Amino acid sequence: MDKVKSPIGRIFIHAALIFFAIYSLVPFFWTTLQSFKTVKDAYARPPKFIFTPTWENYQELWLRSVPENGTQIAIFLIIVVAILIGLMLSANRIPIPNGVIYLFVAFGFVALLWGIPHLVETAKFYDYFINTIIVTVGTVIVSLSIGCLAGYGLARYSGLLAVSVLIAALGFRALPRLAFILPYYQIGNATNTLDTYFLIIITLVAINQPFTIWMLRSFFMEIPKELEEAAMIDGASRLTAFSKVIIPIMWPGIISTGLFSLLLAYNEFLLVRLLAQTTWTLPVAISRFTGGEDPRHLTLAAASAVSATIPIIIVILFFQKNLVKGLASGAVKG
Amino acid sequence: MKRRTFLQFTGPSIIIMTLLMVIPLIMAIWLGMNYITYNNINDPQFVGLQNYIEVLSDPRFWQSFSFTGLYMLIIVPAQLVIGFTIALLLDQVSRFTRGIYLSIYLLPFIIVPVVGTLMFKQLFETSGLFTWLIQTILDTKFRYTEVSVKALIIIQGIWYVTPFALVTYFAGLQTLPVEQVEAASIDGASRWQKIRYIVLPHVSSLTVFILLISLMDAYRVFDNVFVLSEMNPIYKADTIMTYTFRTAITVQRLGKANAMAVITVIGIMIILIPNLIRTYREQVEER
Repeated sequence: MDKVKSPIGRIFIHAALIFFAIYSLVPFFWTTLQSFKTVKDAYARPPKFIFTPTWENYQELWLRSVPENGTQIAIFLIIVVAILIGLMLSANRIPIPNGVIYLFVAFGFVALLWGIPHLVETAKFYDYFINTIIVTVGTVIVSLSIGCLAGYGLARYSGLLAVSVLIAALGFRALPRLAFILPYYQIGNATNTLDTYFLIIITLVAINQPFTIWMLRSFFMEIPKELEEAAMIDGASRLTAFSKVIIPIMWPGIISTGLFSLLLAYNEFLLVRLLAQTTWTLPVAISRFTGGEDPRHLTLAAASAVSATIPIIIVILFFQKNLVKGLASGAVKG
Repeated sequence: MKRRTFLQFTGPSIIIMTLLMVIPLIMAIWLGMNYITYNNINDPQFVGLQNYIEVLSDPRFWQSFSFTGLYMLIIVPAQLVIGFTIALLLDQVSRFTRGIYLSIYLLPFIIVPVVGTLMFKQLFETSGLFTWLIQTILDTKFRYTEVSVKALIIIQGIWYVTPFALVTYFAGLQTLPVEQVEAASIDGASRWQKIRYIVLPHVSSLTVFILLISLMDAYRVFDNVFVLSEMNPIYKADTIMTYTFRTAITVQRLGKANAMAVITVIGIMIILIPNLIRTYREQVEER
C-alpha cells in the first residue's frame, strides 16, 4: 500500500503501534519488576516502581543454598556460555568443518548443564529445567528425523495414498488433545511407562507429527525433482540422493519446522501434567505457583515465569527469521 | 516415486500416528463406555452408553460448552480485526522499525502459554498493576467474580492469539499487487476503497486460513483458562477442555472424561469435515 503522508496520520499510526506494543509487553514488564522485589515490596499498595532490586527470588528458585563464592561461579559460567555461543556464531570463519564445531558446542552445553549441580547446590527447579531440555531436544530430534523422511515421501509420491495420509494428518491436528491424552494415560499405565521421558517424548512426537509432515512437505516441494534425479542417474540410490543432495539444501526448512516443534514441546502443559508425576517440565512446575496461600508464591511465580521465558527468547532472537518465515508460509501452525 | 519407496520413507511416521493417534481415539470411544476411576483403573466396568448420556444431560457440561462458544465468538473476530488493522499500520512504517515492532508483537505468541497467563494474572493480583489502575481510575475494587474472570480469560486470549493473525496478514500484505493499487490511486480511489476492494480480496484466503485455525484452537483452549479459572472458586468459567480435565483429575471419573472428549471430537467435526473435503479436492487437483 502507498504510505500515509499527512503528519496527523503518521502520528496516529505510530501512536497505535506503540499502544499495541505496550499492550503486548505490559505483562512481561510487570512480572519482571515483581520478580526482583522482596515479598514486602511485591505486596505494597499502591505498587512500588522504585525499590531496591533483589536476587533472592531467583536464588530461592534455583539454589538450595547460596554458595560463598557465588559471584566467581557466576562469572565463570557466563564466560563459558559466552565462549560457546561465540564459537557457534563464528563457525563459518574457523577452518574446521562446521559440523565438528556445532557438535563440540552441543557437547560443551551438555557438560555445562551436567556440571552445574556439582559446582553449586541446585534446587528442584533446576531438575525441572533439565527435564524440559531433555524432553524438548528429544522431541525435536525424533520428530524431525521421521518427519523429514515422511515429508520427502509425501512431496514426491503422487498416489492417492499420499493425499489420504495428509488429509488424515490434518484431521488429527485439529482434534482436541484430551481425546488422545486420556488414552495415553491408560497406555502408560498398562505398559508401566508413566512418568518416563520415553512416554512423554514419543507422545509429543505423535501429537507433533501431523504438523511436522505438512510443513516439511511444503518445503520439500520447493526443491526441484531434477536435483535428486541427476544424482540417481549417476548411480546413487534414492536414500543416498536424499541424504547427500536434498537434506543439505533443506536446512532452512528443517530449522523452521524444528523451531515449531521446539516451541510445542517446551510449552506443553496438559500432556506432561497427566503423564508425569515427578518428571515435570517447566510449565507444569510453574503452574504449581498459581495457587496456594504462601505469600512467597507471588514473587516466586514471577521469578519462575521470567526464568522460563529467557531461554525461549534467546532461541527466538537467533532464529526469528525462520520463525516468521514458517508462520508466513501459511501451510500450518504450531 | 514408486509406492514401495513411498511406504519405506513414510512408514515410521505412519506407524507412530497410527499407534498414538488412531488407536488412542478408538480407545477413547471404548473407555467412554466404561466406569473407570483411579481405584479400578486396571479393572474397568462396562456400562455401555451411560457415560455419554450422563455427559449430555450434565448442566455443567453445557455451561462450559456455552462459555467455549462465547469465547470463540469473541476471540476469533477480535483476532482477525486487530491483527489486520495492526498489520496494515505496520506496513506503513520503515523496514527497520517494522523489525523491532514485529519482535515485540511476537512475544505473547512464543511464550509458554502457562507462563504468559501467569504473567497476565500477576497484573490482577491484589497488589498488581491493573488492580491498582482500576482502583485509581475507575474507583472500583477489582474482584474475582464469574464475570470478571471470564472477561480476563477472553482479554488474555486475545493477547495470546493476535500475533498469529498479525504476522500472517503482514506477510500477505507484502505480496499485494502494486500495479492494482497504483491504478486505483490514479482513478482517485480513497484509502478505504483500496482497502475494501483490493487489500481485503487479496488476503481473503488468508482470512479463511486464520479463521479455521483460530476456531479450532479456541475450541480446544486449555492452558490459559486452566491457570486463570483457578482464581474463581465457583469454577463457572470452565471451557469444555478444562471441565473434561477436572472430571478426569479432580472428580476422578476417567470413563466420563473420555466420553466427554469423544463428544467434543464429534463437535469439532462440524467445522472440520467440510474443510477436510475441500483440502482433499485441492490436493487431488494439485497432483
